[in-house]
Amino acid sequence: MTALSFRKSLALVCALALLLAGIGGVAAQEPVTITWWTLASAESPEPAIRAVIEAFEAEHPDIKIDVTIMAESAYGDLMNTALGAGEGAPDIAYFWETPWLPHTLDITDHLEADPDLSRDDYFAEYFTNWATWNGRVVGLPFTVGANFVMYNKDVFDEAGVDYPTADWTPEEYIEIATALTDPAKRRWGGDRPRGPFRAVWRNIGATKPYSDDSSTVEGYFNGPESVAAYTWLWDLVASGATPTPADIEVLGTEGTGPVDLFIAGRLGMATLNNGHMITAANAGVNFGIVPEPHVPGNERFVHAWALRASIWAGTEHPDEAYEFLSFWAGPEGQRINMEIGALMPSLPAVLADYPDADSDYFQGFMGVLDATQTAEWRADHPCWRGAVIRAVSDAWDLIMLGEIERDEVQATLDSMVEPAQAALDECVPRLGG
Amino acid sequence: MPSFWRNMTAQERRSARTGYLALAPWAFGFLVFYAFPIVATFYFSLTQWTLVDPPVWVGLDNYTRMFTRDPLFLSSLKATLLFVALSLPLKLVLGLMLALLLNLKIAGMNFFRTVFFIPAVISGVAVSLMWIWFLQPDTGVVNTLLSYVGVQGPYWFWDRDWALPSVAIMSIWKVGGAAIIYLAGLQNIPAHLYEAAEIDGAGKWRRFWRITLPLLTPTLFFQLIIELIDAFKIFTEAFVITKGGPLKATYFFLYYFYEEAFRNFNMGYASALALFLLAVIMGCTVFVYRTSDRWVYYEN
Repeated sequence: MTALSFRKSLALVCALALLLAGIGGVAAQEPVTITWWTLASAESPEPAIRAVIEAFEAEHPDIKIDVTIMAESAYGDLMNTALGAGEGAPDIAYFWETPWLPHTLDITDHLEADPDLSRDDYFAEYFTNWATWNGRVVGLPFTVGANFVMYNKDVFDEAGVDYPTADWTPEEYIEIATALTDPAKRRWGGDRPRGPFRAVWRNIGATKPYSDDSSTVEGYFNGPESVAAYTWLWDLVASGATPTPADIEVLGTEGTGPVDLFIAGRLGMATLNNGHMITAANAGVNFGIVPEPHVPGNERFVHAWALRASIWAGTEHPDEAYEFLSFWAGPEGQRINMEIGALMPSLPAVLADYPDADSDYFQGFMGVLDATQTAEWRADHPCWRGAVIRAVSDAWDLIMLGEIERDEVQATLDSMVEPAQAALDECVPRLGG
Repeated sequence: MPSFWRNMTAQERRSARTGYLALAPWAFGFLVFYAFPIVATFYFSLTQWTLVDPPVWVGLDNYTRMFTRDPLFLSSLKATLLFVALSLPLKLVLGLMLALLLNLKIAGMNFFRTVFFIPAVISGVAVSLMWIWFLQPDTGVVNTLLSYVGVQGPYWFWDRDWALPSVAIMSIWKVGGAAIIYLAGLQNIPAHLYEAAEIDGAGKWRRFWRITLPLLTPTLFFQLIIELIDAFKIFTEAFVITKGGPLKATYFFLYYFYEEAFRNFNMGYASALALFLLAVIMGCTVFVYRTSDRWVYYEN
């Protein structure tokens, strides 16, 4: 090989190296695509979803978001199929079912390394109950939801009844409901709890349907506190101050609560949620909000929820997925959803800027957000909501239908112990608890 | 190469290929969407499976539980059988009666036929919501009408004794679909048979028993099997209206299956339940089929 040809060869190698480096450089700049499955709702409508993506991609030109907005009815099936198949699941999604949780990415390290976001930025109860599981951080809580009692001030004023206060008791609830009831106007004083898992059951009874280790029903479901809670329910039904299940079914067109009856002034008090709160505010109803009543001395519980925004454990881009998750479920994304949609952000600093934040009813709503959530117990007991509640539902039905006497409550709960125990024994080995 | 293929002429082979090709899309659909899921269901019924995690083999445990340790299995089966016993005769008889009316030669009959058929194509969910209003105890149409004649109507869906009959009564709503099938059967009965009977002095009732009903038995047989299968699959009404209550009065088998599969994440057990229902429906269908030669009259 001559010197010239050596120089030529060297130049060629260098040129090739530069070319390859250039190609490599181009490849490195290729944006990463993150897939996202989500739902459009009043809280987070499609324009808000698009705006979040636009804002995120402007900040992160190296990450593209491929969103699929789907119907809620299809969402569960598609998630089940993808997670079951072990492939095809989105990088980011709501992981709301308990059996999906093992398939979430643990983002503890990402969150700890994040200089802009911390778990302390969120409402503590919401973060604990909806973003952590088995000691892992499995997502970020997106939005806040809660049940509380809305009372119609005009109905109270007309009946000359004082407004309820945050420290009211279950007995006071029945008294006030009875005072507000006016058959001539086809008006009921208050509604009934929808099921034994709600906060009111725990507030009154200060008990649980079975032991914390998910082994024993006897002494819990039929224990004295539980009997007290069901007896209160019996008293409420017997008072005639609440609509029957048939009335609620027909007259309350909202699936989760009789907001229509409340707005029409035919229900003085109703246990509703923040979506209903906005509906009533938009309808111009003069109302206030208090927590559900509870027995003095017992810890106050609230039935509350959040959407769990998570990263799929099988993602090929965990860092980029976290970048988007922390944007979407962080202050920027939740603020966009609050401004375009009707989202109640799970970050106190952002929720403080809610348009009606100074209103009386909104302050009442804020008062329930820090209470201990029933989810704290339920999240660890996946068998309660499906198997056990079904086994004990007859006790609830018997009281709702007025088919047992007050002194038969204890015997009725006793009769539920065996089927509840059988359901628990079957379910716990399968789903845990 | 199979012997039957070797024995064919070239023309026959071409013809057979065309036939198989035409059959292929249907056969593919059958294999993928019917045969494979049924076989897979059988496999899953022998496992414990949460849907998103790999199935765990448990052998016959799901079946053992079903037959020995599960009171809900029996009560849901009982509710379903009761519903079948109530709704099936109602639909068969009322469908036939409606078809006889729709077979009259009066003005505007096509309009009536259309009107009666419409409910059969309306979504079950919409129909269920409408019936909640119809049967509301205090303000519903039915109880309001009953109150005009001095009758205090029951609590319908919200009464443990009336909930299941209410769902059965609801099923009448779709009787127009059955009536159209009967109508087709009625119009296939040769008119000369009626003319001959009339000349012989047979009255309307006799003509119905001696001509209409026997010649309608093939249609009746078809309807019986279709309605039988349909009745066993009762689900929407329980899902939308009663949620299986009150006191599990309408806790139908398919609703139980749904709750186990999609609320309780117990897909293995749900698969066993599904196969049991399949066996029951198949058994009933075979029974009806076997007895058909005693009561179904084919003119040829």
